[in-house]
Order: sequence, then structure tokens, then C-alpha cells
Amino acid sequence: MFGYIIVNKAEMKFKEFDVYHSYYCGLCRVLKDKYGVAGQLSLSYDMTFILMLLSGLYEPETIRGECKCIAHPFEAHETRINLLTEYVADMNVLLTYYQCQDDWDDEKKLHKLVLGRLLQSKSRKCQAAYTEKVRNINMLMFQLSDAEKENNEDIDVMSGTFGKIMAQIMVPREDEWSENLYRFGFYLGKFIYLLDAYEDIEEDIKKGTYNPLKKKYNSPEFEETCKTILTMMMSECCKEFETLPILENVEILRNILYSGVWCRYEAVREKRKPAEGEKQ
Amino acid sequence: MNDPYRVLGVDRNASEDEIKKAYKNLSRKYHPDANINNPNKEQAEEKFKEIQAAYQQIMKEKTEGYTYGGGPYGRGNTAGQGRYGDNPFGGFGGFGSFGGFYGGQSDNTGYEEEPIIRAAGNYIRSGYYKEARNALDGMEEQNRNARWYYYSAIANSGLGNNVSALDHARRAAALEPGNTDYQNLVTRFENGGSWYEQRQARYGYPTTGGGNICMKICIANLICNVCCGSSGMCCGGQGFYY
Repeated sequence: MFGYIIVNKAEMKFKEFDVYHSYYCGLCRVLKDKYGVAGQLSLSYDMTFILMLLSGLYEPETIRGECKCIAHPFEAHETRINLLTEYVADMNVLLTYYQCQDDWDDEKKLHKLVLGRLLQSKSRKCQAAYTEKVRNINMLMFQLSDAEKENNEDIDVMSGTFGKIMAQIMVPREDEWSENLYRFGFYLGKFIYLLDAYEDIEEDIKKGTYNPLKKKYNSPEFEETCKTILTMMMSECCKEFETLPILENVEILRNILYSGVWCRYEAVREKRKPAEGEKQ
Repeated sequence: MNDPYRVLGVDRNASEDEIKKAYKNLSRKYHPDANINNPNKEQAEEKFKEIQAAYQQIMKEKTEGYTYGGGPYGRGNTAGQGRYGDNPFGGFGGFGSFGGFYGGQSDNTGYEEEPIIRAAGNYIRSGYYKEARNALDGMEEQNRNARWYYYSAIANSGLGNNVSALDHARRAAALEPGNTDYQNLVTRFENGGSWYEQRQARYGYPTTGGGNICMKICIANLICNVCCGSSGMCCGGQGFYY
């Protein structure tokens, strides 16, 4: 369910990309320090976005550092790390942990099972620090998994459950912004869940696995309906975003919210086009 | 309340960015977190509350302009208090409410003799979307008329169920094509999308001729994830933080 909330690099200034990347590297670093290599494995761009948004809103003291990456051993990468980095890293590990369990239930993938176990003890660390949040996310994950097993096809219920999970993640503390952030996360979660369903629909039909869009897939307006629904989610999401007093890196965040989030969608759609031509 | 623009010290025509800047500057000074050791922290907190309220009010006015295509339909006025945290699994009271929506022709004549419909209407007017939803669900499917779908659309929207909200608004409009309230509701939901698309134009949609570029980036992103992950060494070299 990851990798949807990304930048559209083609529309971005080099400087902006460097800043974006420094948050990514910072998150990677904290994941490694706190959770080891297993934690690092769970690193995602979606979480980098969440980190940058929360950093822009709260403007915590951010420490700039440097580190070297094995992929580019001669090139030092800048890192930006603040108090929120650890929170986001925890949430990243938590989500991955549940996602691994989920995959294990569904498909029994061996390597994922190993990863799930690896993270298990680690994610208990967050359970102590965020008991309440973790309990909520836990319950919602169970609800989602049960509803998928029951083949619930109510799009709002299904995506809304995942939306509530994202909403929990978006709210690091109760304050004057929690309501805005909650709604923001809710609609972003709905978007992610449905884009994931959109991407997997053909495979899920082939394999006979759950997908909330199956009923809609047979309609000739499938493509259009999906686009309308996804746009609606991003629109609600951005309305919340625009009311937040975020100035720092706001252009990077807008690049993601208005453009980057459609990269994966377009890639999927592009890939699907020739197949559709054959069908006709 | 004082003029919110005066509280923030900005001009009435100030841009959203200027308002945000002004808010940030004041917030840095008066936020409770910044005044823990201040002997006059109560005064600072009062001031902060005033700033916060002013900012929220201005942003509410600004967003009304684009939220629903500039129509008379406000967003605030959240009567369903369900603050986040009170009941995270229940209706989240704040999903855009429908203040000022019941002017015009929606006088309650004729339509609302049916008690379930009437109850649902009352719940919605008070912002109790969950209760409205429950009332509406109590009606047999064959008795559901345009009014039912109209209220159902509003209740769903208030509960964050925006997919069925649009669906039901469209059904209400189709069942009674002459009703402008129903048509307005459809337009209002659809406008959410067009507002977004207008803003999107500024950030370059990743299709136009560059579909392949975009795909390459997506793939590059995935590869990057893989190499950071599987090697387990990304950012793992020297350097320190804290």
C-alpha cells in the first residue's frame, strides 16, 4: 500500500528535490538507528511526505547533517532530522508491521513473514509509547481485514477504514490542528486505499482475491468513475491542506499533492491502455 | 469578536500566504509551548486563543470561496461536535457541514410528512449526521424517494462517505430533475473536483506527453527503495545526529 504519495520530479526544482531527499535520508537514518536494517527496509516515500507536512506545520528545530549511501559512496547526502522524524519512523514501522501480517494472511509470502517477525519485537517499542494510537490502529486494521474477508464492497466503508488509520498517523498530538490533520489523513488514506485497489484490480480478478472495485470494474465507465472518485479524495484532502498554516517547503508539498500523487495512477493507466485496445 | 484581520494585523486583501505568515509570527510568540516559563503565560494563552480563532475564521471565509464554487454554502458551523478523539470510530463531526444550506426552496411543505424523512431532516439541520444516517437506513428500500436520497447524500458527506454522497445526490437529481436544491448539491460535490483541477494546472499533471517520464520516475523511486532497503546501507555510513 506504499509508494503512492511521491513527488513529480519532472516538475520540481533541483534545490527542492534536494530538500525532499534530505528528509527521506533523515528518516532512513532514524529508522536504521532505532530499528536496524529491518526498520530501514520499511522506509517509504509516503512517510517522507507526512514528515515534511508535519515539519512544515510545527516547525520543530531541524538538524542538518550528512551521510553517505552505499548506492553513491562518494557523494554525501544531506539529512534533515527533527523530533517528528522519530514519530514518523515509528508510524512507518507500525504500518509495515501490520502490512506484513496482512500479506502473510493473504498470500503467505515467506520473505514477508520473516520480515514480519523481524519487526515484531521492534514494533512493540512503539506500542509502549503510543499505546492509545496503536490500539486504535490495531482495531481498525482488524476491522479492515475482517471486512475484506467478508467481501464488503462498500467503497466508503472500506476506504474510510483505511482513511481512519491514516488519520491516526497524521495526528501526532492533540492540539489546535488535530481536526484538520485528522480530516486530511482520512481523505489521503481513502485515496491511497482506492488507488491501490485500482492498481491491483486485474490481478485480484485473476487470482480471485479481494478488491473493493470489482463491482465497478464491469461498468463501461470504470476508468472515469475511478478518476472522479480519486480526484474527489484529493480535493477534500487539499482543502484541509490549504487551511493549514504551512509555509516551509510548501511548494514541494503542493507538487506532491497536486501532481506527484497522480504519477503512479498515470503509470498504471498507461500500462492498461493497450490491453483495453485489444479487448475492443 | 474583534475583527480577525486586525487581530492578525493583516490587510483585508492579504493573500493566503501573507495571512499564514502573520499567523505564524504571532503564534511563535504567544503559543503556550513558547510561554511555559513566562510569568504572564495566562495572558499569552488568551492572546493565542484569539489569534487561533481569528486565523480559523479567516481561513474558513477564504475556503468557502473555493470549497463549493463560491456558493452560499459554508463549511464551518460544525454542529456535530464529535471532536477527534471523543469517538474515533463514530462519525467524525467535522466533515464539512452544511451551514446555510436550507434557505431557498427547501421549505418543509409536502415532502416531509413522512416521519423518517422529517426526522432525518431535523438531524441534518442540527449537524447530527450519524443519527440522520440511522434514521434514513430505517426506511424500506422501495419507499425511498428523491428527498430520501438528498438527505442521505448530505448525511453521507457529513460522515466522510463522499463516494456514496455523490452517488445519492445524483440519484436525487435524476428522480426529480426540476429540483434546484438537488441539482445544486450535485454541482457542489462535483465542484470539489474542479477546484482541485484548477489548482493542479499550476503543478503540471504528469501525463501530457510525459507519461513515460513519469513512469520512469516511478520505477526509479521503486529501485531506490530497493537499493536502500536490500543493501541496508543507505545513509548508514558515518555522520551523526542529535
